[in-house]
Amino acid sequence: MNEIRMMATTGMLGYGFTEEAFYAGLARDLDFIACDAGSQDPGPYYLGSGTAFVSRAAAKRDLKLMVDAGIDREITVLVGSAGGSGGEPHLAWLMEIVREIAAEGSHRMQIAAIHAEPDRAYLKRQIAQDQIKPLGPIDLLTPSDIDDSSRIVAMMGLAPYQLALGDGADVVIAGRSSDAAIFAAIPVMAGADPGLAWHLAKIIECTAQVAEPRTGQDCVLGMLADDHFVVEPAHPDKRCTRLKVAAHTLHENPDPYRLAEPEGTLDTSAAVYEQIDARRVRVSGSRFEPADRYSVKLEGVRREGHRTVFFAGVRDPGLISVIDEFVADCRERAAAEAQTIGIDPNSYRLGIRIYGRDAVLGSLEPNADRPHEIGVLVDVIAEDVETSRAVIAKVRYALLHTGFSGRKCISGNLAIPFSPSDLDAGEAYSFNVWHRMEIDDPLEPFRLEWVEL
Amino acid sequence: MAKLVDLARIVRSKNAGALLFTIDLIFEDIAADVRVRDSAAFAPRNIGPLFGVTDNQVRIFHCEDALALKITVPRRTRSGDPGDADVYGAQQYAPLLSVDIPD
Repeated sequence: MNEIRMMATTGMLGYGFTEEAFYAGLARDLDFIACDAGSQDPGPYYLGSGTAFVSRAAAKRDLKLMVDAGIDREITVLVGSAGGSGGEPHLAWLMEIVREIAAEGSHRMQIAAIHAEPDRAYLKRQIAQDQIKPLGPIDLLTPSDIDDSSRIVAMMGLAPYQLALGDGADVVIAGRSSDAAIFAAIPVMAGADPGLAWHLAKIIECTAQVAEPRTGQDCVLGMLADDHFVVEPAHPDKRCTRLKVAAHTLHENPDPYRLAEPEGTLDTSAAVYEQIDARRVRVSGSRFEPADRYSVKLEGVRREGHRTVFFAGVRDPGLISVIDEFVADCRERAAAEAQTIGIDPNSYRLGIRIYGRDAVLGSLEPNADRPHEIGVLVDVIAEDVETSRAVIAKVRYALLHTGFSGRKCISGNLAIPFSPSDLDAGEAYSFNVWHRMEIDDPLEPFRLEWVEL
Repeated sequence: MAKLVDLARIVRSKNAGALLFTIDLIFEDIAADVRVRDSAAFAPRNIGPLFGVTDNQVRIFHCEDALALKITVPRRTRSGDPGDADVYGAQQYAPLLSVDIPD
């Protein structure tokens, strides 16, 4: 096998990279350039609402550089987890940007768009055939979970990419995807050792994590040979260190030695990391164990309601000393007030957190010192926006004007930083699907669409 | 005796998916790494209560190449659930900082 050369441009499409690194990398006779465009780290909202968590302008800037250079130099361009969550609206959002980029240039290109929102009837059949298993501490998936979901995506492995590449795609824009599959698809198809291919893919998909100085995102190069691979930053002033590369499998993975992918498990326990020179690290010894059953991860969210939030400061030492009893009184008062306007106490969820004391860790907070100032965050989720707003207004009034033992601040208990004080936080979602689906055909949950521009 | 925060070069936490937190401790040298790894304070029965989980829910890994220790525990709420205070899981290492590690 000839050495396969790849460049990961950025850890997240829209997080940026320097043109200096990008063009220095392009000069290295690359086989493909690629990047991940998604993550579930920002939480369930983006999958549910169908929106991106990067700006359109930022996504277009990164993608335009990649597509223009790729078409110009005949280098394949791959992007996975389009639009952040990789569902239908996310893919459509990124494809519209691709169309705009194509219209601005003079080249023709074959684009493969890979859809990753499986049909619901199909998912229910898979449940009936016991093909869907929990992926971690979550209950078995039921047909009603499918009905409750606002959106469910399947995370693709290599097969959909390889189908698109085999049929001549210049640019692949994939829906929800394994981050590493974006980078492993071409090498594994070319006959590379799958252990090395997946390990290299896993290391470079986050780019900046393995390079220093870590001044934001930037391009990273991977050179894959028969019995090892080399990781190197594309920017001439940056360097990859053995420690950073070795530490990379810790990042966001539950187990640093065994990393599950649709095709099997990457085992890095015997990997050997060597610093070649100041900037490059050589890795060998990574292994890949093919899975008995091919499986894809499913991610889904359900709508919880409409959220309104309110934030205020408390500086009164007397109030801070009785804050728990005070908050309990206010909850009761607000609930009674809400009932007078016909709002049932069971029709909303009210959260009140005390920043400065234990809002982050809750009951696990080890520090019992009394703060001199606290922030009170109120969070109301109700079925509709009107109920949500009405409840938070009652809670705000209660917090501002309810008495407490020793009170002297009879004009108001809170320092409210904004007007309006109650902020609409939009629809609230929660993850209700986090499962693994066994399938016979790796293409089954996905659909390839060709777009010629 | 030393506080864990004074022994580690990096202490970080993050989601490992929506259902788990994972905490990485990276040390300057192998001596500090092994000292923490082998201390009783770092046993699952002592780590579990810091994260509100039982000791059999705590997974601990040692990565000698990276001079690192890793702890993975279930989240108490899923990422972004109503009531979750840390969607990315980026501040969940805090209970570890003040753990005493004997010489």
